[in-house]
Amino acid sequence: MKGVFMQDLEVKKLSFSLGKTEILQDISLSVKRGEFVGIIGPNGSGKSTLLKNVYRVLQPQAGEISVFGRHLQDISLSESARLLAVMGQFHKVNFDFTVEDMVMMGRIPHQGTSGRISRQDRLAVERALVQAGVVELAKRRFASLSGGEQQRVVLARALAQEPRLLLLDEPTNHLDIRYQIQIMEIATGLGIGVLAVLHDLNLAAMYCQRLYVLKAGRLAAAGRPAEILTPTLIHDVYGVHCEVLSGREGRPVIVYGREKMAV
Amino acid sequence: MPLVYLTAGLVSIFFTILFAISVGVVDIPLAEVIASLGEHSGLSEGMAISQAHRDILWELRLPRVLLAGFAGAGLSLCGMVMQALVQNPLAEPYILGVASGASLGAVAVILLGGTAFLAGIGVPLGAFIGAVAATGFVLALAGKERSASAVRLILAGAVVSALFSALANLVVYLANDAEGMRSAAFWTMGSLAGARWDTIWLPGAAVLAGAVFFALRLRELNAMLLGEETAVTLGVDLLGARRRYLALIALLTGIIVSVCGIFGFVGLIIPHAVRAVVGADHRRVLPGVLIVGAIFLILADVLCRVLLPSGDLPIGILTALVGAPIFMRLLFRAEGLGR
Repeated sequence: MKGVFMQDLEVKKLSFSLGKTEILQDISLSVKRGEFVGIIGPNGSGKSTLLKNVYRVLQPQAGEISVFGRHLQDISLSESARLLAVMGQFHKVNFDFTVEDMVMMGRIPHQGTSGRISRQDRLAVERALVQAGVVELAKRRFASLSGGEQQRVVLARALAQEPRLLLLDEPTNHLDIRYQIQIMEIATGLGIGVLAVLHDLNLAAMYCQRLYVLKAGRLAAAGRPAEILTPTLIHDVYGVHCEVLSGREGRPVIVYGREKMAV
Repeated sequence: MPLVYLTAGLVSIFFTILFAISVGVVDIPLAEVIASLGEHSGLSEGMAISQAHRDILWELRLPRVLLAGFAGAGLSLCGMVMQALVQNPLAEPYILGVASGASLGAVAVILLGGTAFLAGIGVPLGAFIGAVAATGFVLALAGKERSASAVRLILAGAVVSALFSALANLVVYLANDAEGMRSAAFWTMGSLAGARWDTIWLPGAAVLAGAVFFALRLRELNAMLLGEETAVTLGVDLLGARRRYLALIALLTGIIVSVCGIFGFVGLIIPHAVRAVVGADHRRVLPGVLIVGAIFLILADVLCRVLLPSGDLPIGILTALVGAPIFMRLLFRAEGLGR
């Protein structure tokens, strides 16, 4: 039953717990066709856990997740890896990959079990290297790159998957502002749906069409950045004082105050 | 392009074998070796070489050289797969105690008189069970595989290795030269001297089967190198694969140990050297490891045969002399310690 407004991603009443600790409760969210959606919230609010449920490293105890109108549990891992790609935070690799080889790993879901490389694979890798701006690094060793370069290579690997939905888990962690903006620009320019966990509220306000705010595993607010990023909400969720100014195109700009954190 | 390399590799193995069977306490000139090969394959006729030389070539040297090739390729393959499994270039059947487990299983079967069990399958079967036990023990000690740090893994391997070796030597000691029992030296330093046509077919078949099995799973092996989470996002579920692979490695190690005894580090040296040249992608590492592993051990065994005037040098001494420095280098390099 495909609705008229087909969603790239739909999460319905998702709950997840580790042992007896409830990490996520009753979360519903969606990414509409080609939309850039952000998830924000303090440390430990369950943002990354939510994303992990979507990219199938964790299994939800309740609720359902569908991508492009199909339930996640009905499709194989390999098929979902062709639909959605993840740029996560796990980059540590103990083996010597060249950048080119690393990006080629993104083709795994498209290859047979013996991993034969097709012409299509090579083209996709070339395109991804260009899109992520790492062509000149292609022959370098992954381990010898700086954190920012590694992050862009991992983005290239995700792009080589040729996904129809991109998940970003704090994609700009440890990056200087130039690379933060670069990564967000690349993601925006893809023209596919993006769901991003973000720490920086201003970056979220700049790039996201809609935001979901998580607090202690529950949805605290959802909506367009200009609607929901208010001093009250930010104080309520993060416990800090701030002013919200109006930037370009009415996008909110947050300026934090120096007062002691309220409890 | 890859076919060119593969062909070159197989040709080098062929010439290594030719060389290796001509060298030894009695040197047999290459011309005689080739003539004898021609005779055997029906290409030429007549008595090109003496009966004594023919016996040495066909009954002693060729099986031994082939066993060295199989064992070298097989242990290198085991090392490569274990390293992918635990995402660490230090893993290897000897270092993680799997080989010691295999030797304990093998000597236990011999002590219990199971040598003739199931047409000689008893000893390798015991070795397999011992290897599985050691694998399980090491992983339990090291903690959940995903979070197991390199140091914990190496320490767990050292403990298990010490324990199982001690038990194996205890069995050897108690056995009092039971039928088919070999010396403690064999179970701690290895030897290829016992190679005969009727003992090398099993390791040969196992290594070839293992090579084909993993050649069809290069995708999973590659995904493993990136870690469990990334593998899932690339559509590869490692949970089942991991157990199957561990069992296969234990089987292969068990079979090799039951025929050659224990010698370490081959599974560390060869994948390390091959990766240094071709990178980490298993599409290139797997064939390289098999070819280089075979050639390495054949040549190492030649050295063992000619170095001492009085007889064989145990192969394990040689492999440890080469392997220990490489192990140290990997261990003390920041990436080797990992996480």
